[in-house]
Amino acid sequence: MIFITGPLYSGKRTFAKKIAPKEKIFTEAQELAADADDLNVLADRLAEYDVVTATEVGGGVVPMDPAQRTAREAAGRLACLLAGRADCVVEMFCGLPRILKGELPQC
Amino acid sequence: MLTLVIGGAASGKSEYAERLVLESGLPRYYLATMQVWDAECAARVEKHRKMRAEKQFETVECPLHLEQVRLPGRGVALLEDLGNLAANELYDPAGAGENALAALLSGIDAIERQCRRLIVVSNEVFRGGAEYAGDTEVYLKLLARAHNALAARADEVVRVVCGVPVYYKGGSSQ
Repeated sequence: MIFITGPLYSGKRTFAKKIAPKEKIFTEAQELAADADDLNVLADRLAEYDVVTATEVGGGVVPMDPAQRTAREAAGRLACLLAGRADCVVEMFCGLPRILKGELPQC
Repeated sequence: MLTLVIGGAASGKSEYAERLVLESGLPRYYLATMQVWDAECAARVEKHRKMRAEKQFETVECPLHLEQVRLPGRGVALLEDLGNLAANELYDPAGAGENALAALLSGIDAIERQCRRLIVVSNEVFRGGAEYAGDTEVYLKLLARAHNALAARADEVVRVVCGVPVYYKGGSSQ
């Protein structure tokens, strides 16, 4: 699995579509984190996709709302678990991919 | 040549961008985007203008309509900053409104054609969450699209982190 992270609107989905067919991509994985009973189980399930993307949400001020705090925490943890399972981790920045771990398969 | 310099608040992006300009012996133009609302703004603008005059920058005010700006000579231009210009074009009644993205991109095109090197400073504001409402969402989308479009055609894209330049495209680190 290739894990693509990066800030909001940084081109994660666009890049994912370049390296895998649509049905093998899971986008915005961070949205599932808050409601997951077990993040490890969720990460295992997501790792079955070819590509998983998640938006970085932990770079701002700690939210006042407890539910938002929990969601943000879970999103960050999930991203770590996905990166751990990934053969390749890509960080997007302004539409430009940077490889943080492993290497992209030859297309 | 186009260089995109992006960083968070107080990341050192302006200092780094200025450093890039000072490396060259060409005429230096500072494209200032801030709108002056009150005495506090005016004082701030005046202070910065003086600081730049010492470094032989000529300041060109361009809070809106970048495509109409004519630079007096062919040199290095520093646009500061794109986040501000985007907000002006989007929200000022005299701005481009829903055509803001096209206005920003064609404006930058027009400036690039008038200089040897253009350095665009912009703001990293996308790491604090994924769910925004209304105007904030519209603004973030606009700025991100401008970033991604510029990054695709820029010669250099550099993110400044704690004053340290990290090149994502071009530059000495690649």
